Amino acid sequence: MRTYALYLVRRFAQFILVVFIGINIAYLITHLTPVDPVEQAISSVTMFGQSSPEMVEVMRKTLRELYGLEGSAWEQYVSFWRRMATGDFGPSLSAFPTPVSTLIWQALPWTLGLLVSSTLIAWIVGNFLGGLAGYYRKNSLLKALGILAMSLQPIPYYIVAFILLVVFGFLWPVLPISGGAEMNIDRQGFAFAASIVKHSILPALSLVLVGLGAWFIGMRSLVSNIVTEDYVTYAELGGVDRRRILFSYVMRNALSPQLTGLALSLGAIFNGAIITEFVFGYPGMGTLLVRAVNAGDYSLVLGITSVSIIAVASAILVIDIIYPLLDPRVARS
Amino acid sequence: MNARPRANGAADVMLDVKNLRAYYVMQYFGTQREVRAVDDISLQVGRNEIYGLAGESSSGKTTFIKTIAAAIRPPLTVIGGSIRYSFLDRDIYKLDRVALSAIRWRYLSYIPQGSMNVLNPVRRVRESFIDFALPHMGLPKQQFFAAIIAHLERLQLTPGVLDAYPHELSGGMRQRIAIALATVCRPDFIIADEPTTALDVVVQKSVLELIREAQREIGSSMIFVTHDMAVHANISDRLGIMYAGRLVEEAPTAEIFRSPKHPYTQHLIASLPRIGDLSAKRALTGAPPSLAEPPSGCRFHPRCPLAMDICRETHPELVSIDPRHRVACHAVSPAVGPDRVFAAAAKQRTGLVQ
Repeated sequence: MRTYALYLVRRFAQFILVVFIGINIAYLITHLTPVDPVEQAISSVTMFGQSSPEMVEVMRKTLRELYGLEGSAWEQYVSFWRRMATGDFGPSLSAFPTPVSTLIWQALPWTLGLLVSSTLIAWIVGNFLGGLAGYYRKNSLLKALGILAMSLQPIPYYIVAFILLVVFGFLWPVLPISGGAEMNIDRQGFAFAASIVKHSILPALSLVLVGLGAWFIGMRSLVSNIVTEDYVTYAELGGVDRRRILFSYVMRNALSPQLTGLALSLGAIFNGAIITEFVFGYPGMGTLLVRAVNAGDYSLVLGITSVSIIAVASAILVIDIIYPLLDPRVARS
Repeated sequence: MNARPRANGAADVMLDVKNLRAYYVMQYFGTQREVRAVDDISLQVGRNEIYGLAGESSSGKTTFIKTIAAAIRPPLTVIGGSIRYSFLDRDIYKLDRVALSAIRWRYLSYIPQGSMNVLNPVRRVRESFIDFALPHMGLPKQQFFAAIIAHLERLQLTPGVLDAYPHELSGGMRQRIAIALATVCRPDFIIADEPTTALDVVVQKSVLELIREAQREIGSSMIFVTHDMAVHANISDRLGIMYAGRLVEEAPTAEIFRSPKHPYTQHLIASLPRIGDLSAKRALTGAPPSLAEPPSGCRFHPRCPLAMDICRETHPELVSIDPRHRVACHAVSPAVGPDRVFAAAAKQRTGLVQ
């Protein structure tokens, strides 16, 4: 147990370091952007008429102050971390003065709900079917599934998304194709929840179909390697119950690498969602990020990036923490 | 499942293999290729007997025991012959899967090579015992574990190993656990596939003693496979020598070591180091033949110092030269007459035959 505690401490320190470095890189990149939000705002004001240069200069100074851009680069950097420590990302520049954190908090539940559920569904179903297909190599239904998975897997998810849009939005219009929920209903209760689920079916399906193929193929090849391992042959020779062999011997041993993959794809949720959310007009982080980039709103970009860095790192941390419980060999090394 | 006491044929024969042929059959672009890993092997194993099977790598030893354990999967296929155990009323390949897993461990168990990978790395040893032995023992859990612990103690293992994962144990301990697993249900027949090959000689000795003791105590029969003749000298009652998928000689162990008849066996014995013998050991020239295209006639003839014309044409049958000794060699079979052949071959002798 002591080794495990030590492992936890070490792993947590690693987590802090990764988050720190990641946010620093994001900070650097967003502040090196040639798009100046102050000039962006001034040009949108001056677009409709002449202003005197003195007025523009006053406006520029006021905006720099409001956006927190005065002082040397070092002072800006220090004040950024001071604010970060309290969870404050500053005001959004494009939706001034709404705080970045408010915008993120509004978008985050949508993205998390859509992506966590579709990633988990794809992972569970894909691995289960892939495991069966690797173990029962001769089953023709599972063989057909393998061919289907293999043909779906290389298709980019946004192509699948467009096909789904055409099929279920145009040819057979049964599902809503845009938005997170109906606008004109009470934002509470069963009807609202049902509306959310209904709106999420198409975007989720586009992600699940593609993700499932990848998990299926990965698990199938892992399992077909593991069935030739000595301990599986030995268990078969020992007349161990076939279902026990499939789950406790074959799938359990194939699970460890797949869990790492799950952590990584949970982490990749934020960029994976961007196009899907955009295609389906889903009110999540992806749509928010695209808007922020277009507006040169780098405090919002930095806020979203920081949240996703923390999310990726925590997902991997959580997986690493439960890994030793699944594979006792990890905690030792 | 089939009743245990039913004997089949002679009362003391536990395993009767007749003309067993098992080939790896593969299809490449429509043409069929066969690798004849087990070709026409007949042997019997008696009650309480340890039958040793020796031969170099790729001589078909492992294929043979996989086949008699009914543990084959394609491309390995049984082409012909029969495998009868005394505890079964029919050929083992006539059983369906349920009946087969019911006899495993209770009647027929298996000691694998002492490698890292025999025990499931993510399951505690206790769970392996539950998986393998509990369904066959039919005891309530508490009594079951009492029996397991008593058995482990007989094999010089502490009950603590039950709560360990395989990677926390040494190679010798893992091998002893594999032996404990294979013997805990007191099976009638045990198949041991190179159980000591991966161990160093010190551990090897204690493991061999354990196997011998466990076998005596539960009174089971055993087929013991290893290429190591020194191990055979220690454990086997009777020895069968395999070469290129065929059994070439079979006799009680002492007799094989004292007077080997087949030239291949003679070479095998002559290559063993002996105390006080300082002469250089000669290596047999050539390599074991490809089992996909075995040589015509006797499969040993390309490497045999005594090879004659007949050896290239017809393959020698395994014949009894006395009641307990069978050899497959034209040079010693009575049809040709051993004396004449040995005299003729004496000129080419290479110091192989002592």
